[in-house]
Amino acid sequence: MKNTLRTTDANAPAAPVQPLTTEARPVQQHQRRNPPIAGELTAISQAQQGDGAAFEILYNMHKRRVYSLCLRMLGNVAEAEDLTQEAFLQLHRKISTFRGDSAFSTWLHRMAVNVVLMHLRKKGLQLVSLEETLEPTQEDGPRKDFGTRDLTLSGSIDRVTLERAVEELPPGYRMVFVLHDVEGYEHNEIAGMLQCSIGNSKSQLHKARMRLRSLLRQNMGGRAGA
Amino acid sequence: MTNQTTNASKECSKFQQQLPEFFDSEVSMSDQPHLKTCANCSALVRDLEYIAVQAKLLLPIHDPSPVVWQNIQSVLTKNLHNDEQKS
Repeated sequence: MKNTLRTTDANAPAAPVQPLTTEARPVQQHQRRNPPIAGELTAISQAQQGDGAAFEILYNMHKRRVYSLCLRMLGNVAEAEDLTQEAFLQLHRKISTFRGDSAFSTWLHRMAVNVVLMHLRKKGLQLVSLEETLEPTQEDGPRKDFGTRDLTLSGSIDRVTLERAVEELPPGYRMVFVLHDVEGYEHNEIAGMLQCSIGNSKSQLHKARMRLRSLLRQNMGGRAGA
Repeated sequence: MTNQTTNASKECSKFQQQLPEFFDSEVSMSDQPHLKTCANCSALVRDLEYIAVQAKLLLPIHDPSPVVWQNIQSVLTKNLHNDEQKS
């Protein structure tokens, strides 16, 4: 599956220019998915000088992606809006430290992910449930599938159905699924962010997909029986 | 017949335990010998691949309420005033 999930765009945009570095740097997979937007470099440069209008341009360029990320990770509109606000306030505080080592959007999204994780860690109950689902137990191992298959998912899922199924995932599963399959982070990056092992990240992703398959098949069965 | 079923289940179990690693390796799933003989695991792999591909297509479609930017602006303005007063 790796090949179907990865893009290998050899024509990935070059690193940002002045006042950001022009040094050639290795372009990571996640950076390839986040090429600079037209006018972004100018806006970054001006925002770094304290230009409020330029900061608003950056907000408008990235608000949808940051908010969607928060919403998918949290599954709650009010919290997602609060944390979008927090992520952009943090961006305002730290934008002068951006040096173009990665794409700006990669840098910003990583900041937003950290804001969400920090928020979840501050909330005792969510932290416990996150850790529980990030630490597989024997009972919670990958479900085996030996039954006969009458239904296949191929061609049957629409975006809304998948979004709803993702919302139903336990927090730990949802986090890894959103970061890896939706946002395109690698397992080593996720392991660093969630402070778990790479194997754990892979295992959680697999269990998330298995759970989604089950949810989506239930949905298909419900529709077929209706 | 029962032995055959048990052996098949063991093969499936072994294959499915290795799936997380298989998915993340450079080796194509179609090269996995077990999938050439097991329709059940083939269907499972097809579904999981399909889910991953569909997830990649989940575009950011939600916009935050305009209140979010108003709040950000309000905090930034307040911070600016505080900084000016300090200096």
